[in-house]
Amino acid sequence: MLDQLFFYLDFPFVRYAIIVGTLISLCSSLLGVTLVLKRYSYIGDGLSHVAFGALAIATILKASNNMFVILPITIFVAVLLLCGGKDTRIKGDAAIAMVSAGALAIGYLLMNIFSASANVAGDVCTTLFGSMSILTLQPTDVYLCVALSIIVLITFVLFYHKIFAITFDENFARATGVNVNLFNLIIAIIIAVIIVLAMNLVGALLVSALVVFPALSAMRVFKSFFTVTVAAAVISVVCSLSGILVAILAGTPVGSTIVGMDIIAFLICYITSCIRRRV
Amino acid sequence: MLAFAGSSFAKDKASTNKVDIDLSRMSSTMVFSMVYQMVTTPEKFVGKTVKMKGAFSSYYDDEAQRRFFGCVIKDALACCSQGLAFETAKPRKYPSEYPSEGASITIVGTFEYEREEGEIGFPIIKNAKLFR
Repeated sequence: MLDQLFFYLDFPFVRYAIIVGTLISLCSSLLGVTLVLKRYSYIGDGLSHVAFGALAIATILKASNNMFVILPITIFVAVLLLCGGKDTRIKGDAAIAMVSAGALAIGYLLMNIFSASANVAGDVCTTLFGSMSILTLQPTDVYLCVALSIIVLITFVLFYHKIFAITFDENFARATGVNVNLFNLIIAIIIAVIIVLAMNLVGALLVSALVVFPALSAMRVFKSFFTVTVAAAVISVVCSLSGILVAILAGTPVGSTIVGMDIIAFLICYITSCIRRRV
Repeated sequence: MLAFAGSSFAKDKASTNKVDIDLSRMSSTMVFSMVYQMVTTPEKFVGKTVKMKGAFSSYYDDEAQRRFFGCVIKDALACCSQGLAFETAKPRKYPSEYPSEGASITIVGTFEYEREEGEIGFPIIKNAKLFR
């Protein structure tokens, strides 16, 4: 099996998948903790559906790089959802549900009406479940992904204390002089970038798992914001790497194999926390 | 069965050929990704000997007035398929000397990129040996 693995690692596209997979899982897990604590776990799902709709538009427009269409649209919707505030007429979960279902329907409709491929069902299936996307990346996709991931990581590290403050209590953060609206905007943009990147790894329907599972697993075992964030990052990277390797060795779909690994990690953390409570 | 009688249909002789890219020993995920690379960046693979296992497929192109033969593989979700066209080393009669649609085949041949003047090219396995 190791021979087979080394044989596969000789191919550049496998190495690209491992690099991009590691970066995406790292970024998604960092923000995942904030999203779970702010009770926005489901936003990943909504935004990934928006990204799917944007992909359909990019395909129709025959964009040279889909990312230039998908990213602005997803960022715009993320800002609307996360920074809309409490004064909006359609609130939190209802807005996410509406955007999620609406974007998915519009995306599929557009793909059918303006079909650019002979296999629409296949294209939709691949985008939704991320069957192969991560193993079909070209060097330009990898560079773009690395650049965006680095921006996300630097932003998170630079504003760690501010993100920590608004994650737990926005009013208290505002009282201490933190520009809450600005940091909510930054979080919304980062989340949109992560969702768009993560679509390549696990597909639109499974993005939520990448955001939520590592954070929830880490929360079973660790208690402080810092330790949970670090543990979530480690769990996410390990699950993604093992998922990619298992998928290429066993011939299983990459996205669902990674999510399967995340579920196993969650169960291990859950059992560990149960044992620790009894001891 | 009789239709495939002939030296190039001998079972498992495919494994004795010198092969640069052996897709038949890869997992389905890897095969699908590899074929994607071969179709999108054919220049990297031209001249290499390729061995591939998949399902036999053929279609007649009215415009080109030519029948194309392909070795097709499905992705892990079985919703998408990728394939490579092939041309046998020795001309064969269709359909009597070819497998039935969807039959499992292995081909070994040289990867080429065929381009007719003024037209978009396509990758094809030339001088292919066809095995069941």
